[in-house]
Amino acid sequence: MKRSRASRGASRARSGTSDRGGIRKRGAPTKVDRDGDLAMGAGADAIRGQKPRGGQGRSALSGSRTQTLDRTMDVIQKALSGSSGAQANIRQGGRGPGLEQVIVSGWKQSKAASNRDGGVESLVTFLEKKLTAPDSKAGTRARISKSRVEGDALIASIRPELLERMLQLNGFSFAGAPLIIEKYDQSSAALLDQPMSTQNGVAPSPADTKAKMTAILGRRYYQQAKLLDLSKLATDPDLVSMGIFGTTSTESKFFPALMKVWEMNFSNNAARREAVESVSLADNQLPNIALVTTLSQSFPDLKNLDLSNNNFKDAQAIIAWRWKFRKLQFLDLTGNPFCADPTFKDTMLKWYPELRTLNNTQVRTEEEIAAQKKTPIPVQAAQFRDESQIAENFIRAFFTGYDNNRAELVNGFYDNNSTFSLNVNTSAPRALQTEPAPWDPYIKKSRNLLKISHLPARMSRTYTGAEKIRELWTTLPQTRHPDVAAQPEQWLIECYPIPGLPDISGQSSTGVGGFLIMVHGKFQESNAGRVETRSFDRTFVLGPGGGIGGIRVINDVLCLRAFGGNEAWQLEPQAAAAQPAGAPVTIPAATAGGPPGYGLPAPGKTDTQVQQEQLVMQLSAKTMMTFHYSELALSGNSWNMDAALKNFAELKSQGTLPADAFLPGATA
Amino acid sequence: MAPTEDQYAKASTEAATDFAQTFYPALQSNRAIIASFYSNPPSTILFNGNAVADGNAVQDIFVNQMPPTHYEVQSVDCQIINKQFPSTTTGGPPRTKDMSILVVVGGYVRFGESRDLPQRGFSETFVLIPNPSNDTGKGRHKRDWLIQTQNFRLVV
Repeated sequence: MKRSRASRGASRARSGTSDRGGIRKRGAPTKVDRDGDLAMGAGADAIRGQKPRGGQGRSALSGSRTQTLDRTMDVIQKALSGSSGAQANIRQGGRGPGLEQVIVSGWKQSKAASNRDGGVESLVTFLEKKLTAPDSKAGTRARISKSRVEGDALIASIRPELLERMLQLNGFSFAGAPLIIEKYDQSSAALLDQPMSTQNGVAPSPADTKAKMTAILGRRYYQQAKLLDLSKLATDPDLVSMGIFGTTSTESKFFPALMKVWEMNFSNNAARREAVESVSLADNQLPNIALVTTLSQSFPDLKNLDLSNNNFKDAQAIIAWRWKFRKLQFLDLTGNPFCADPTFKDTMLKWYPELRTLNNTQVRTEEEIAAQKKTPIPVQAAQFRDESQIAENFIRAFFTGYDNNRAELVNGFYDNNSTFSLNVNTSAPRALQTEPAPWDPYIKKSRNLLKISHLPARMSRTYTGAEKIRELWTTLPQTRHPDVAAQPEQWLIECYPIPGLPDISGQSSTGVGGFLIMVHGKFQESNAGRVETRSFDRTFVLGPGGGIGGIRVINDVLCLRAFGGNEAWQLEPQAAAAQPAGAPVTIPAATAGGPPGYGLPAPGKTDTQVQQEQLVMQLSAKTMMTFHYSELALSGNSWNMDAALKNFAELKSQGTLPADAFLPGATA
Repeated sequence: MAPTEDQYAKASTEAATDFAQTFYPALQSNRAIIASFYSNPPSTILFNGNAVADGNAVQDIFVNQMPPTHYEVQSVDCQIINKQFPSTTTGGPPRTKDMSILVVVGGYVRFGESRDLPQRGFSETFVLIPNPSNDTGKGRHKRDWLIQTQNFRLVV
């Protein structure tokens, strides 16, 4: 039941290699396949027939900017600062006749995003309310005529007279997150669907455009470095020859289309996310990120971002990425006017909690990053105070049974007075970049008392008696929990005795003792052909009874929430023990009168000493021996916990341990 | 006459929601009354695996050592453990106020004032038992139920 230390070592090793950061190709750049057909994912095979020209763009990437390029730059800049002209929309599901379209993003970071529909309905309601003029009469509420969701964006169609008002809502806070509202420029797919004029006036097919873009991406992708170099786009001869910079409308559509093509080359999201850690958009003279904002949808987990030598004047120019790139470690904005802003560094530190290097200067140490994640209440190992492995055996049997044979499980541990209820926490914090699975299979059974206020519903969502529990469980989705023994790091299980439980035999008027067990973990569930992972918290009260091993489940409360990972209960690394601002709370050991700070790092205390003290606390919690005797048992067994426990069991069975070896109140 | 199932369900669920709606605000902004939520002596109290002696010790930690702390409670459920919790059974007819209640709370907590600080998911289990002095005591913080045991864990 102890947590594994292996995962901690692994995560430290990972962060140790990633923090060197830096986008720049220091030393010799990794040359890639000159054919440009490097594997961007399984899908790359599909377009391999196209043999792009190799290497020709290389000089443009590394060469210095020259005067002759200025004109091209001007064209880009113009394109970026203005919105594109209206064009016929030939896509299905586009705007209706006479309607304007806007693209609304940012709401995926709002609290409403964990709603069952992802927050779409409340977003639309919110926008309609805000769109309604304050002086309008009741009943003349502004309406969003049509809307659809594309990735992180809501595309909303509105009557033209509402457009101005809608665009003014840009930056408004919706359920805790700022909205980004821009006029929709028929991005990505539209470009691929439509013929594009070229310099010689011949319209290439969408497939040709796609192939050319794939080739360009191939040349600019450094697989080993996981770098996608999108710098100096305007001077890329292939892009120029494609006529990308010929008209404003093609310019505005180019980047989203490029991102779309990139995504199409991967068969799954995981491969796509792993392929790139670094992106450079340097030397593009961008006044803001309006046209490249989709980068954050294609690369949400980006670690390194080079935005140097653009023309961002202030934070507003990049505000659309305020809540994006939550894992960003390296950011280069040198050569932008924004850097001269006195708030520049503080703003970037605030925006990106993982940021270590800003403009090639270290702005946070590893220790500071670790300290941010620290809680004022240090995370200690699970307390597991079992007796005769009663709770441990129950837990092993329970989760195996719940996955494989619920009817049998109910027969084994539940009786006519056992109670089960489940509740869904739809807005729980979750692991980054995970889409929460829909709650349909559970929500009608959920007894979240904050949502279910009517007494009859509260009563009908309580399941008392083996029969009712069995009946309910057969309707809940099949589950697969990780093996407790094989994957201990996926679980946090705590247990201790509690008194005052009902005695079903009716013999004890003072109640009987049993166990309170709290389990935190995850499970997988097959839901309409998709495998979903959820996190759960499950609390049991076990008492003596007629079930397997002489026990019964008195209470079983299951809380379901979106997958939140297992990092929260991993012990904090000793390396991060150097305390920056805000020392953690020192909690005096309640059980054995250990001195204040016992088991916690302190000046002058060696790591070995801290570890030994923690072992003493653990042994004491397991055996109910005092710290003094626990220390004797451990030091006499070379600080080996298993050996000390074995030794303890022997001495206890021989009855050689004195009464004062145990904590007050503990029964030897 | 013994209470009906309706009465038990009403009393237990109201006790649970009242508790959640008073305890977390106290942790957040009325730390001087924290100890009044605990029975004396309590059973086990754990915060992230750290054992704390009693309600006074919890209050002391929150008053003296904890930064400003913002809790958002997102889920609450409860079940009756024992309709006749032993210490309060008078020998008279059963009453809803004699029960012990299991309360499970989920939500997030933010340690520190800035809204940019991370929201940490927590799961917390309580056993509430009848307040033995409730029949006579008319204190400022009169409570029908007190914490017998508490286990707080950050889970996200």
